[in-house]
Amino acid sequence: MDSPLTELFDRAIRAHHPLFASLELTYACNLACQFCYNPVQRLNQHRSLPPGEAGSTPLSFEEIQDLFDQLRSMGVLYLTLTGGEPLVHPRFWDIAAAAKERSFAIRLFTNGTLIDAGAADRLADLAPYCVEFSIHGACAASAEALNQTPGSHQAQLRALELLKNRGLRVFIKCVVTKLVENELEDIHAIGERLGIPVYFDPVLTPSDDGQAYPLEMAASDETLQKLYRSKKLNVGNSPFQREPGQYNCSVGTGTLHVTPVGDVQPCVQWKQAIGNLREKTLREIWGGSDLLRKVREASLAAPVMLLEKVEDHAFCMHCPGLSQLRSGDPLRPDEQYIRLARIRREATQELGRYPPPTRDGEQG
Amino acid sequence: MAEAQRFRKNPNVSWRTIEGQAVLIFNKEGEIQVLNEVGTYIWEHAEEDLEETIRAIVTTYSIPPEEARRDAEEFVQSLLASGALKAEEG
Repeated sequence: MDSPLTELFDRAIRAHHPLFASLELTYACNLACQFCYNPVQRLNQHRSLPPGEAGSTPLSFEEIQDLFDQLRSMGVLYLTLTGGEPLVHPRFWDIAAAAKERSFAIRLFTNGTLIDAGAADRLADLAPYCVEFSIHGACAASAEALNQTPGSHQAQLRALELLKNRGLRVFIKCVVTKLVENELEDIHAIGERLGIPVYFDPVLTPSDDGQAYPLEMAASDETLQKLYRSKKLNVGNSPFQREPGQYNCSVGTGTLHVTPVGDVQPCVQWKQAIGNLREKTLREIWGGSDLLRKVREASLAAPVMLLEKVEDHAFCMHCPGLSQLRSGDPLRPDEQYIRLARIRREATQELGRYPPPTRDGEQG
Repeated sequence: MAEAQRFRKNPNVSWRTIEGQAVLIFNKEGEIQVLNEVGTYIWEHAEEDLEETIRAIVTTYSIPPEEARRDAEEFVQSLLASGALKAEEG
């Protein structure tokens, strides 16, 4: 039986009450991860300042405050501050404080390299709901081969300790690439030593401009089999992940995403703008976008599509946004998810585990 | 409960009213509480005059004032005990 909270959230999402929002504070990052979906990073532009897109300027602090007021009035509870690396934004601490003043449950996505003792103290005062900390290797050799930034691994390990010592709720997130195929246990051990849960994300994301180069970093079938067979390694992109069988993400109904220049998207993965904050209010965009109506239709149709088209549907996580980006069709099963579903099914069958339950025909 | 006691919501508790029910997230502890309709009303007005809140509950739900007062005061005490509310100094 679902918990009262789950039932409440389900009811809210059915009523198109947005609960989750993310704000991409900046495209800039102080690292240069090879698989990064951000093309600004690939072009190695503006490594330390918010660049904005061509012809656009980033949202000002005042505009971000106004956005927060709008999100609050619409009932958004969880607010993710992400990037790029959000801590390189020159007004990060002001923005975080403004979010706290408005009672959001803040999720901070960070690579942690800019968190020294002073920043850790400020984060402890901020008291975010959680810090989701990306670390993509167990040692400097692999982590820094990926992020191309010497010294970053040691800075990350130090930051993890600083955060943990201050009692913050931290989750380590590791994207599984071919560079860490032999390190999954060691990365898990970093978290275990500090008492921090580690989540291994097997999904690689094409670049925001649709190029597939990040997918070249994919780990082998054998590595992913090992991951799915493990009884101690968590698989997923965060503690908020869906499980297979939960075919509907809440794209278009429970989530929204805002880019550094004020474009509003259905989610971080669905890259088409449904409006811009400088042209309309968020409520007007949420209620009046033709594209958003199509997103909602696609989200509702996804379960039936999976049942009809994907043999391993009970193990398949479908992301309409990723399919839209890859093929222009949010209802076209993506090869990466089909592959992961097959590997997950094989691993599950090898272990003799009962397959995850499905909820046929569930409507969002 | 002392007369005219005032309260402040704990800034480390995130919250939003969703479909008529307040959801409280205790960020440091990682706990989440969902309040019912009356609890939500009390929470939303927790920084205002409790006597006004009790009168509004009596009017809205047509219950005896003593019952409304007892329930509201117990509920506020539970919010204080959980750390969701803080009593104002002075």
